[in-house]
Amino acid sequence: MTQPLLSLRNVQKHFGTVRAVDGLNLDIQENEFFALLGASGSGKTTLLRMLAGFEVPTGGEILLDGKDVSNVPPNRRPVNLMFQSYALFPHMTIAQNVAYGLEMEKCPKAEIKTRVGEMLEIIQLSHLAGRKPDQLSGGQRQRVALGRALIKRPRLLLLDEPLGALDKKLRGDMQLELKRLQHEFGITFIIVTHDQEEALVMADRVAILKDGTLLQCASPHDIYERPNSRYAADFIGVMNFMPAKVSNGRLLGAHGKPVTAQIPEGLHEGADVVVAIRPERLKVSAPQGDAAGSLPRGRVLATAYHGLDLQLHLETELCADPITVRLTAQEADQIALSQGDQLELGWDAKDTRVFAA
Amino acid sequence: MKDRKPLYLMTPALAWLTAFMVIPCLLILALAFFRRGLYGGIEYTFTLENLALVFDPLYAGIFLKSAAIAGLSALIAVIIGYAAAFAIAAAPSRRQPILLFFAVLPFWSNYLVRTYAWIVLLNREGLITGLARWLGYDAEMPRLLYTEGAVVVGLVYNYLPFVILACYAPLSRLNPEIAEASRDLGASSWTTFRRVVLPMTVPGIATGFVFVFVLSIGNFVTPALLGGGQFQMIGNLIYAQFLTANDWPFGAALSMVLIAIMMGLLTLQTFATERASGAKREES
Repeated sequence: MTQPLLSLRNVQKHFGTVRAVDGLNLDIQENEFFALLGASGSGKTTLLRMLAGFEVPTGGEILLDGKDVSNVPPNRRPVNLMFQSYALFPHMTIAQNVAYGLEMEKCPKAEIKTRVGEMLEIIQLSHLAGRKPDQLSGGQRQRVALGRALIKRPRLLLLDEPLGALDKKLRGDMQLELKRLQHEFGITFIIVTHDQEEALVMADRVAILKDGTLLQCASPHDIYERPNSRYAADFIGVMNFMPAKVSNGRLLGAHGKPVTAQIPEGLHEGADVVVAIRPERLKVSAPQGDAAGSLPRGRVLATAYHGLDLQLHLETELCADPITVRLTAQEADQIALSQGDQLELGWDAKDTRVFAA
Repeated sequence: MKDRKPLYLMTPALAWLTAFMVIPCLLILALAFFRRGLYGGIEYTFTLENLALVFDPLYAGIFLKSAAIAGLSALIAVIIGYAAAFAIAAAPSRRQPILLFFAVLPFWSNYLVRTYAWIVLLNREGLITGLARWLGYDAEMPRLLYTEGAVVVGLVYNYLPFVILACYAPLSRLNPEIAEASRDLGASSWTTFRRVVLPMTVPGIATGFVFVFVLSIGNFVTPALLGGGQFQMIGNLIYAQFLTANDWPFGAALSMVLIAIMMGLLTLQTFATERASGAKREES
């Protein structure tokens, strides 16, 4: 069995009475692109600062290559952090910023020169080597911050909300760029983000943090398709939740009729649950026969056109909140829709998740 | 230039400065080129003698001496003041205003009173000597008052709040992540200070240094009180020319040279600050 690059063993960080990180266990493998996802206050930034060495854990161990580094200061760790503010040195040129880390390693001058040249080539800023950070755009500054950290060839690169300050289009480009660089350098990346889409697009594995604890850690596919809690289901993407009750081995919805769902083991009779289903897993069709048909019905409240898809908001008897349905452009073309229309809703049991209410 | 409002708003200040600052300065400038008359009068014939006399070794020596004392005071004030500003900027942010308040507090009391207080401290049988005696030091105490050292101490003390304020401004604005980035890239705390924090706060240091230097080199109260009259700085010399020697033209010439030195330094300091923040302006 290969030893994980990074092992967190019951890591804790308390600030006074606040438990920012509360007993985390996590293994991260060499060469992984790992995402820590959580709302603000989930402890993700505190965890990142502990990995970088800016905070000392209150308890537990942080093992890097099998050695406990909990008390090793940041300048003695083979770990680099790309700050959310980028934290470039404003009084130094781009080349000097990138060279700084190597100078600290007492690299020979000639080697620094070559490696800085190569790095500027990689981050495509060779032509701006003599500029100061203030004279660059946000995207360029972000690449400098990345190059300045990568040039040290750390065992672990930490990225704190790396794309937060960029506009949407640039963010998409940089997501691919970061993935490419991670492959090229073969360095383990841990990215902290509150943007679930960013995490799903880039990471090999995603961990969802809540209140300083680990809620779920899985591949983006599993996180999206098989959330293990209502919080995780709600946090990632759009999810419809329908209340239901266990009755004779079936689930009865708010409308009193059976709800199609995969019923997990161990639910006792009469338990209150929620049935969760993604908008793109719902099918709609024009109602057939009388209103007493077996499929639940909904009235179109609003439609939202997104280009690639069409989102419908349906008022149903299944739950108080409108149900969101996502149709591909083709599906939408096949049924003429307008506000107020009645539609029949259907789905497969295998596409549902059931959580305790 | 479309909106002329700023100009209107500046008019009172400009008028005030012109009337009570620019015109008197020009009068002094003119005075420097006239001959001294009998019995302290002024003979209105053009001469360069006064300016030449300023560069006479005797007076040039006093200039150099004053510059040395002002430079030493500024250096000590910058070292002490920067350290204090650093500590204040590192304190929890809600405590910083109160710490700053205490740092600047002496400034609100009268300059003369503060300087007299040092006489009480440094006197032959003053508080410091008393303290040394109480601690068991029986030998002859070195002379404390009426020395160059006493003047430097007085100047540093009086102008320290300036330096603390000047250094605190850039230090408190520093994004803490920048120092952390330096640590993260492998620098020790000391290297981080030397290569990142210090260079980024040079404008504050320059401002503080020039402030203390300029205020010290022309000061005549502190050298008179703590230097004991024997001891002359350029400010005392000018004071004497106008009020005791009655040589207004020579006093004017000395003043002009002093003002020229101050202007030169302030220009340099402005230039240094501009350069440090120049990049930012280019962008906008």
